[in-house]
Amino acid sequence: MGLVRKQAPQQPEEVLPEPPDTGTLLSQLDDPDPDCRREAALGLVDVAEAVPELLARVGTEEDPRVLESILTTLAARDTEEVAGGLAVHLASDEAVLRTAVAAALATMPQSVPALLPNLLAAPDHDVRVMTAMVLADLPHPEAHTWLVKMICEDPHPNVVTGAIDALLPSATAEDAQLLRDAVERFPDDPFLRFTVNAALPRLTGTA
Amino acid sequence: MTSAAATGLSDADFTRFCDYFYKRTGIHFTASKRYFVDKRIDACIRNSRYDTFASWFAALRTADRGDMVQDLINQLTVNETYFLREDYQFDAMLSTVLPNVLAARGGVGRMTGPVKILSLPCSTGEEPYSIALRLLEEWDQIDHVDVEIHGADIDSDVLAKAAHASYGERSVQRVPKTWLSKYFVAVGSGRYQVDEGIRSAVTLHRVNICDTASMRAFRDFDVVFCRNVLIYFDELSSRRAAENLYGAMRPGGYLFLGHSESMSRISPIFTPTRLPEGLVYQRPSGAK
Repeated sequence: MGLVRKQAPQQPEEVLPEPPDTGTLLSQLDDPDPDCRREAALGLVDVAEAVPELLARVGTEEDPRVLESILTTLAARDTEEVAGGLAVHLASDEAVLRTAVAAALATMPQSVPALLPNLLAAPDHDVRVMTAMVLADLPHPEAHTWLVKMICEDPHPNVVTGAIDALLPSATAEDAQLLRDAVERFPDDPFLRFTVNAALPRLTGTA
Repeated sequence: MTSAAATGLSDADFTRFCDYFYKRTGIHFTASKRYFVDKRIDACIRNSRYDTFASWFAALRTADRGDMVQDLINQLTVNETYFLREDYQFDAMLSTVLPNVLAARGGVGRMTGPVKILSLPCSTGEEPYSIALRLLEEWDQIDHVDVEIHGADIDSDVLAKAAHASYGERSVQRVPKTWLSKYFVAVGSGRYQVDEGIRSAVTLHRVNICDTASMRAFRDFDVVFCRNVLIYFDELSSRRAAENLYGAMRPGGYLFLGHSESMSRISPIFTPTRLPEGLVYQRPSGAK
């Protein structure tokens, strides 16, 4: 007993089993074992023809950890096909699904911008709230500008509050008037007012 | 010759290079790291037979030169560490995590296979050897349980140093004198080498944490230390690394991140667990 050395082989590549082929991985997406499905989804990361199958699973996969692995694999492609296929789930009634999809879209700076005209004009204001969540973490130089546009123009106070929440981590004193104007647009919304009043002292250096 | 003069990197070159390096490793450099990156690229060009950034980068991308790529990775990864760093997490491992691991696996004498501990990235070896020292000196079950310690890193240079396990005084300054005399050999010039018994007990591997295919070789670890590396990754690479760490762990296994890192910002697949010594993340035990 005590410290023992692993009985070789020493290098991981020496013990790596042959990776399953694409057909096997696709069939494993139906395996009753969620860990098998999770590993299959991760194994399909460089397989373009698996994208439609993976996108189809996003709305049906019930295990949240398998869903995460599917989204991680899909997000790595960062194409408009994938982003568009994911964005439809921002309207889902399932909080776990729409939140997971928003987190995945937030890692796709190449393809999300093309979706924004439709997302920012979505008739369902909850979709626009989720879009603010995406922009909160999207590593794109225009993310701040898009959030400002939402704050200035969106007609729903929940969307504007969501956009303010998303903007705050990167907001500066220059954004203070923008927030005051938002309160003026929705004077009867106590949550929006609270959010802005809580943030202004830090932004203006009067905390 | 200054680095800027040697590399001659334009802003566009810098962006192209960062895109390339990100795709190879998952490590993302922003413009704030420009000076650091320029200096390291300069060193890589000097180590190669090319004399300009353009020719070196073209060879790197098109000639599939594994030696050049590895030299680049070695130059651009940060490896500063020392023995018993952030040792409150080793306290947690000894006082809470390992007793829980033994209990979950049926208890001493009934468990199958060793307790497996992974240090990733292990850099020049201080972390896995620190784990070994703490286990040997302070864990009352060490004589009753087999323990495997593995260290892994993307950088082949630091792995070679980890295998040699010779350290300067600054690196071992937190090691108690009694441990220093018991487990190290003075090798001159103020350097100390970890003794052969401990060196041979730690298995070292080269691996990219973001590479799902090669990370599949790591399985059933009870405890993983993955400290101060995810902060170098962007969101997507962090997610992929988290998925790979999850796959490397036994259900119920424990993951330690650096004190400034949070898995909750990366992925929801782990369960945060509050221990007296701080936060640790667990692969859910209900999941296979």
